[in-house]
Amino acid sequence: MTGFLKKHGWTLGLLAILLTLLIAIRVVQPNFGASGLESLARAALPFAFATAAMAVVVIAGGIDLSVASMMAVTGVTAAVLMDNATEGQAVFAVIAVLLVGIAMGAINGALIVLTKVPDIVVTLAMLFVWEGVALLILSTPGGGAADWLRSIIAGPVSLPFLPEAWTFWLPNAFIFMAVAIAVIWLPLRRSKLGLSIYAIGSDDTAAFRSGIAIGRTRVAAYAVAGLFCALGGLSLTMGTGIGEPVPGPYLMASVAAVVLGGVVLGGGRGGLLGPIIAVFILRAIRLLLTLMAVDPNVTTIVEGTIMVVVVMLGAILMMRERRS
Amino acid sequence: MKRLTQTVAAGAVIASLSAAAFAAGHASYTIGVSNTVQGNGWREQMICAMNAQALASGDVAEMIIAHRNTDTAGQLEDIRNLIEADVDAIVLNPSNPDGLNDAIEDAIAAGIVVVAVDAGVTAEGAYILSNNQEEYAYLGARWLFEQLGGEGDVVYMRGIAGVSADTDRDNGFQRALAEFPNITVVHEVFTGWQQDQGKQQMLDFLATGIPFDGVWTSGIDNVIVDAFLESDVPLVPIVGADNAGFVQMLTEVEGLEGAAVTNPGSVGGAGVTLALQILEGNAPDDPLVLVDPALWDNTTDDGRAQITSAQNPNLDPEWPVSVSIDGWTTYSMDQIIACEGPGE
Repeated sequence: MTGFLKKHGWTLGLLAILLTLLIAIRVVQPNFGASGLESLARAALPFAFATAAMAVVVIAGGIDLSVASMMAVTGVTAAVLMDNATEGQAVFAVIAVLLVGIAMGAINGALIVLTKVPDIVVTLAMLFVWEGVALLILSTPGGGAADWLRSIIAGPVSLPFLPEAWTFWLPNAFIFMAVAIAVIWLPLRRSKLGLSIYAIGSDDTAAFRSGIAIGRTRVAAYAVAGLFCALGGLSLTMGTGIGEPVPGPYLMASVAAVVLGGVVLGGGRGGLLGPIIAVFILRAIRLLLTLMAVDPNVTTIVEGTIMVVVVMLGAILMMRERRS
Repeated sequence: MKRLTQTVAAGAVIASLSAAAFAAGHASYTIGVSNTVQGNGWREQMICAMNAQALASGDVAEMIIAHRNTDTAGQLEDIRNLIEADVDAIVLNPSNPDGLNDAIEDAIAAGIVVVAVDAGVTAEGAYILSNNQEEYAYLGARWLFEQLGGEGDVVYMRGIAGVSADTDRDNGFQRALAEFPNITVVHEVFTGWQQDQGKQQMLDFLATGIPFDGVWTSGIDNVIVDAFLESDVPLVPIVGADNAGFVQMLTEVEGLEGAAVTNPGSVGGAGVTLALQILEGNAPDDPLVLVDPALWDNTTDDGRAQITSAQNPNLDPEWPVSVSIDGWTTYSMDQIIACEGPGE
């Protein structure tokens, strides 16, 4: 039991913070209920995928500054492919978008491995490259999205064998996010590739001596990040029904959620659950500040301050634990 | 769980009842604002006009303002958060005409009045209050053509191709042009609403030596005057917007004949007024409400008086100088500069 607590202490702490925030929201707004949870889940969706993408490359000991730009490319690709397409053709559009994401991520990774230029420089350059590509695909916001795709993240869950009262508070957007991330991450984490990703993030010399193909693993990690970015881009198009070529505010938010989520920036430690909870914490803070009618210029200061305080407290607690 | 359902349902009923009760007489509304461009003079004036008008109306108890740089997905989040905050009306500057419809429809279904200012949304049941861009161009172009005596060659400097404001302005310009058959457009360019680009385009055209008699600009104005002055070419009549820099030139540059057409960011304040009118049961028949611009020229005493009175050294130089809209805003100059809403 104490072993479980120790191992998942950070994640449990984050859950406690999220729960406290939800209670605070409920106190400020007594009507907060199912529709509020849906708003929260829909708002968190693109951030959650951006964060998952960032977390994977950070665990592998890297960083990807082009996540928001890749989301823009995949978002506009989806919107352009689905514009005037039939509902059936949209299935192929979705598959194409996911492949585009994997390809972009693999290109990022291959450039880092082949050129040996630091990842931060390569992905900074690619931030601009992918941004330009998105504008080439669609110069002004537009395009479309299939109705079935958009309905995946709309409304609450309804299952034929469960009474509505059991599921009305559970948003579809949340299920979509949880399923998509779990289907990719859980098998990966337990696989040889997943272990290799942790190994190269932890110590690439040791990993190399253990016989891990460092270069290939790094490219694979960036490709997985690209796949998560594609899901993020798709979720933007699903939410708005259009594609927007200019990247949204997902880069800095994803770094913030990864750090807050307990992933060590040096690599090799952490998972996806913590960062995803962190995403919800950040969205819940914004909702709470909106409900309290806090001055919009103060809101961002509060968001940043809370983040620093939480990460600092966590570091202090961890240091104490190590000493004892 | 059943209790929770009942609570939610009861809450919804109470919320709609109380909204109806407010509409009946006593007025103490909460207004939500959503804007996705921060740090731009025009947008900051819009936000301040909203605050000032809410305060001046006396009918608003609280303003909840979501004002940050974000994308359409972020604006969807802000609108949904405002719905959760149980606001009575949402006044927004939409980042996209189609991308926000889901959340706007949710808001309208929850009994919230939605007013889009500056640009339109396509959601059913939303009101749109915008500067009349067609009239903006018509007014300035007609003044210019009259100034030239109905005869001559003009340079036509537009905004960004494909943007709705530019398309609307072109319609107005063409309408005026049709009324003056002896006016010819000798040169037509898109400035991209970029100061440096517009200036270079004018410098290039001046260098060709092709004669012309007047310039119509889509708001890239003061740099055009600069281009004339730097090229040492005699000035021709120039039409621009009510940007602080150009308006100042109209009073100070020797030999400049020109007119500023207003494109006020204070449509934000007008949006608050419209939202309050709808909440009080006085909804307009047409969901599209256009604010007509005014023209200030420096060739008549009337126009010069308006230009002089609009200038205010306390005003942010990035703001348009027309800080109010007749019939729509009731706040004072000091109130909009203070930028404070009710309860601050």
